[in-house]
Amino acid sequence: MTSHRLRLILWVLVAIAAVGGILVALQPPSPNSRETGLATIGGPFTLTGSDAKPFPSSRLNGKPAAIFFGFTHCPDVCPTTLARLVKLRRQLGSDDAMSIVFITVDPERDGPAEVGSYAGLFGAPVVGLTGKPDDIERVKKQYGVFSQKVDQPGGSYTVDHSASVFLMDRNGHFVATLSPEEGDAVALAKLKRLQA
Amino acid sequence: MILRISTLALLLLASCGQQEAADIQLSNAWARPTVGQVPGAVYLTIENKGGEPDRLTGAFTDHAAMAMVHQNEMVDGIAKMRMAGEINIPAHDRIEMRPGGTHIMLEGLRAPLRTGDDFDLVLKFRNSKDQTVKVTVTKPEGQ
Repeated sequence: MTSHRLRLILWVLVAIAAVGGILVALQPPSPNSRETGLATIGGPFTLTGSDAKPFPSSRLNGKPAAIFFGFTHCPDVCPTTLARLVKLRRQLGSDDAMSIVFITVDPERDGPAEVGSYAGLFGAPVVGLTGKPDDIERVKKQYGVFSQKVDQPGGSYTVDHSASVFLMDRNGHFVATLSPEEGDAVALAKLKRLQA
Repeated sequence: MILRISTLALLLLASCGQQEAADIQLSNAWARPTVGQVPGAVYLTIENKGGEPDRLTGAFTDHAAMAMVHQNEMVDGIAKMRMAGEINIPAHDRIEMRPGGTHIMLEGLRAPLRTGDDFDLVLKFRNSKDQTVKVTVTKPEGQ
């Protein structure tokens, strides 16, 4: 009888542990512990271009691309990052050496016109992309990108977001990230490797 | 001799008592061009040439609905922009605001900022008087 009860208790414990494990596995990944393996970053997508027409990622194939996720109501980090990419690309010798792609994580405020005019601020070709919220979510997941709205005084909001740039080769495969902290010398070396 | 030493001591004491006040000077104020309804960011250098620290408590301009001192933090690769509290300007020191760090965000611009435009920005300090600086809209060097 006692051993029966013990066995029952043990089975209950096993069941609790199993349910707990499933719950943990089902939880959305926190920004600190993204589980995206390197090889799985990226993949094909279709978003919306600044002309409001579908933009399949295959249009980026043929030359390397630097993909940055941001939002147009971002006055500091996003223009700083895009301007840096434009500057680095110039150091490669040609605006044709690489595509610079800006994907909004704020599709509520950023329609095709907004991403288009924002992408036009940098004096060089930048591809601005938006999409339906579900499509943006899917692409964020493909790239392991985190973003979260944060209310601001005055009724407006800002968006916390991953600040990395994803470098893709001419076949659309992920190669490396560029981070805002690394110096231009390392960044330029990565971009040159991408050209090879 | 004793007189000389005591005079020197008195002079030293006097100089300890009257510390130089904060002396704030603003320079190199610039902002990137903007488009549509998006907010702008102003960067500038605040120099305190005085002997007392001071604190930046706020920013105002007629060119936008709101001006807010913001700070960017990078936490685990996530960029977070938040309101900064008061910013300390130590004595005989300077704060250089640069892209990617502290900046003054202009929300609700009356008109998009265009290269070559300029406008006035007023900074408020804990001790010093309000200071006005002309902000020039420009693209930073190398771009």
